[in-house]
Amino acid sequence: MDNSDVILSVQNVNKSFPGVRALTDACITVRKGTVHGVVGENGAGKSTLMKILSGVHTKDSGTIVFDGQTVENTTPIQSIRSGLSIIYQEFNLVNTLTVGENIFLGRYAEMNGMRNIHKNARELLDSIGSKIDTHKMVSDLSAAEKQMVEISKALSFNSKLIIMDEPSSSLTADELKQLFVLIGDLRKKGVTIIYISHKLDEIFELCDTVTIIRDGKVIDTKPIAELTRNEMIAKMIGREIENEYPERPHAAGETIMNVETINTRKLKNIAFELKKGEILGFVGLVGAGRTEIVRAIYGADKAKELKILINGRKVKIKNPRDGMRAGVGLLPEDRKLEGLVLPFSVQANVIMSSLWRISKFGFVNASKEKEIAERQIKSLSIKAPSPHTKVKTLSGGNQQKCIMGRWLEINPDILILDEPTRGIDVGTKYEIYLLIKRIAENGGSVIMISSELPEVLAMSNRVLTICEGRISGEFNPETDSAHTIMDAAIG
Amino acid sequence: MTKQPRMGRQAAVDFLMEYLVLFVIVALVIVTAIVEPRFLSAQNFTNLMRQFGPLSFVALGMTFIIVGGFIDLSVPGMISIVAMVTLSLVDVIGELPAMFAGLVLGAALGFVNGTTLMLAGANTQAKALFITFGMSQIYRSLALHLTGGFPMNWGTLFEHPMPVTRALSSGMWGPLSISFWVFLFFLLVLYIFQSKTALGRAITYTGGNLTAAELGGIPTKRVVVFIYTLCGFMVAVGAIVLFSRVSVTVPTVGTFFERDAIMAVVVGGTSLTGGRGNVLRTVMGVSLVILMSNCMNLLGVQTHAQEVVRGAILVLAIWLDHRRHARG
Repeated sequence: MDNSDVILSVQNVNKSFPGVRALTDACITVRKGTVHGVVGENGAGKSTLMKILSGVHTKDSGTIVFDGQTVENTTPIQSIRSGLSIIYQEFNLVNTLTVGENIFLGRYAEMNGMRNIHKNARELLDSIGSKIDTHKMVSDLSAAEKQMVEISKALSFNSKLIIMDEPSSSLTADELKQLFVLIGDLRKKGVTIIYISHKLDEIFELCDTVTIIRDGKVIDTKPIAELTRNEMIAKMIGREIENEYPERPHAAGETIMNVETINTRKLKNIAFELKKGEILGFVGLVGAGRTEIVRAIYGADKAKELKILINGRKVKIKNPRDGMRAGVGLLPEDRKLEGLVLPFSVQANVIMSSLWRISKFGFVNASKEKEIAERQIKSLSIKAPSPHTKVKTLSGGNQQKCIMGRWLEINPDILILDEPTRGIDVGTKYEIYLLIKRIAENGGSVIMISSELPEVLAMSNRVLTICEGRISGEFNPETDSAHTIMDAAIG
Repeated sequence: MTKQPRMGRQAAVDFLMEYLVLFVIVALVIVTAIVEPRFLSAQNFTNLMRQFGPLSFVALGMTFIIVGGFIDLSVPGMISIVAMVTLSLVDVIGELPAMFAGLVLGAALGFVNGTTLMLAGANTQAKALFITFGMSQIYRSLALHLTGGFPMNWGTLFEHPMPVTRALSSGMWGPLSISFWVFLFFLLVLYIFQSKTALGRAITYTGGNLTAAELGGIPTKRVVVFIYTLCGFMVAVGAIVLFSRVSVTVPTVGTFFERDAIMAVVVGGTSLTGGRGNVLRTVMGVSLVILMSNCMNLLGVQTHAQEVVRGAILVLAIWLDHRRHARG
C-alpha cells in the first residue's frame, strides 16, 4: 500500500480500564486532506480512541504513526504541538479570558506581547472567515463562535489533523452549514479532519471515508460512497439479539399515568401514556433528553410546565418527595453519584427511602430496619458478607441491586430505571431483567432507559424514540425492526 | 498465608488511626503529669471542667453541621450577639426569660443561616464557608451596634441577683459543676437524636451524598435548615455559659470559637467531607483541645507558640481524615 498520503495510522491499539475493555485491536488509517467520519453508539470506544490520540489516555499496546513519526506516550500539549488538535464537544476554553488570549493560551511569551497576540488571532480568524472581535470575552460568545475560536487555536499550532468530537451538537442549522463550508476549505488547504458524530446525515454529507466502531472494535472503514444508511446502522448496532433476555411479560392493562405535557428548556411538548404492568422503553442518544424526561416526572429537575395524571388524578410534583408520594420511583443514571451513599452500609442504603415509614414518633425502629435489609438482600440475592458491608466494596451489579431493593421496599406504582444495567456483568444483568419482568407481572409499570438498543427492544412492550428533546416516534419492538427504531432515534 | 500478618498489621494501623485522638489524650495526660505534678491537682481538675463549658456546646452544634456536609463560620458573630442581647434583656424581662430569649435568638439566627444558604442555592461546603463568614460579620457588627461597643459586667451592672448565671458560673452538684451536668444532658439528648431518630439519620445521609439523599426522598433542604438552627441553638447555650464565666463580656467575645469548634469536631474524627462522625467523637476532640491548652499553660508554653501548635494539629487532623478517605 502506498503510504505517502497517510497522515495517521493506528495499528492494533488496545486499551482497558478497570473492569472494561475499551478498545480491542483498533486499526484506522486516515489519509491526508480527507474528512474522515467516525461513528458508533455511545460507549463504543470513539472517545477513548480520540483521547489516546490526543494524549489524555495512554494506550496499553499497539502502534500509532502520525505524520511519519511513531507516537509513544504523548501528552496533550506534545500532541498539539506535533500538529494534532482535538476540539471537544464541551470546548476547552477559558471563559474569563478574551478570544485572543484563548487562542494563544500559555504561549504569551513566544508571541511577544498582547498586541501581537491579538494581531495574529485576527489573521487566523480572518483566514477562516470569522469576524469575532479578538478582545471579546469567551463567556460572551455563542457556541458557534466558540467553535471558531477552537478552530483558530488548532490552526495556530499549524495543525495537520483536527479531531472534532460531536461538533454539531450545539449548533443551529445555519451555523452547521457554515461549519461545513469551513471544513471544506480546510480540506482544500490540506488539513485532515476526523469528524465524530452520531448524526448520520452529517456523515453522509461531509465525509470522504467513514469508520464504524462498536464495542471497542473497529467494525469497518469504507469510502462513504460504498455504504448505505441502513448498512451503516446495521454495523453500528450489530449485535444479534440472542437469548440473553428473558421472555418479555405481557401484562399491560389500563392507563396508569398520563403525561399531558412536559416543557423544560430542553424538552418540548413531551406527552405519552404509561399502562399498568407495562414496560415502556425510551430509545435515544445520550443527550437527546431521555434522562431529562424521567427526572422531570420524578421531580428531580424543575420543569417549566409539567402536567401529569396518575390514576386519573392530577399530581403536583416539585421535588423527589412529591414524586415518591405520587407513586413514582427513580433508579438514577449514575448509581455512584446519584444513587448510593458509597461509604455507607448496604442496610443504610437499602432503607434510605423507607426511613420515615419505619419510624414512630420520629424514632427509627431498629428491628424493622434490619428486617428490610435482610429481606432485600435475600430476595435480590445481593452478594454482601453482611448488611453492614459498605456498598463501595460491592460490585456494580450488587450496588445496583441495593438501589433496586430500596425501591422494591417502597413498592411504587411506576418505577423508572435509567440505565439499569450500565457497567454490570452479564449474569447480574439477567437477574435485573428477571426483576423488571417480575415487577411488571405484579402490576407495576416500568419505564426503562438504556443506551443498549437490544436490551430495550428485548424487554419493552412499547418503545418511544426521543430525539433532540422531542418524542420522535412510537414503536412496537416485537414487530418494528431495530433499523426503523434507530432511524427515528437518530433523527 | 503470608498475607495474614500484614492484614493484622493493617487492622492495627486502622484501629490506631480511628482512635488516634484517644491515644494522644492518654499520652498527653501521662507526659504532663510527670513533668508537672500540679496537673493532677483537684484545683486543676475544676479548672479543666470549667473550660469544658462554652466550647463543648458550640462543638456539639457544629458536629451536626459537619456531619451534614456543611460548615458554619458564623459562630463568633452568633455568640457575640446572643451574649449581648441576653445580658441587655436581664434588667428588662428578668434573668430566665432573658436566657430563654437568647436561646430562641440563637436558633433564629441559625435558621436564618440555613435558609439563606438554601435560597442562595448553596449546596456545597465551600459556598457555606463564604456565606456563613459573611453572616458572622453581620452578627458581630450588630452586636457592636446594639451595645455601642461597650463591655457588660453582670457582676456589677445589674441590680438583678442573677442566681442562674451564678450557678452556671461556679455552682457544683455532686462532684461535677452545674455547667458540666448541663453539658452531659445535651450530650445524651443529641447522641440519642443522632443515632435513633429519622431526622438524625437524615442528616448523615445528607452529608454522605446530598444528591443521592435528595433523589432517595430525604428532605435535604429542610435537613440543612434544621442543622443550622440546631447549631444556632447550641451556640446560644454556649454563649450563656460563656458570659456566666467571664464577668466582663465584650461584644467580640465569640472570636475564635468557630476555629476551636471546627478543630474539636475534626480532631475527634468526624469527617469534614460529611456523613461520618458523631457527638461522642466531638467530646474526645473537645477534651483534646482543652487538655492541650491546659497542658501547654502548665508547662509554660508561650501563647503564640500555642497558636502554632493548634494550627498544626488542625492541619494534621484534616490530613489524617483525607488519608482515611483515600484508603476507604
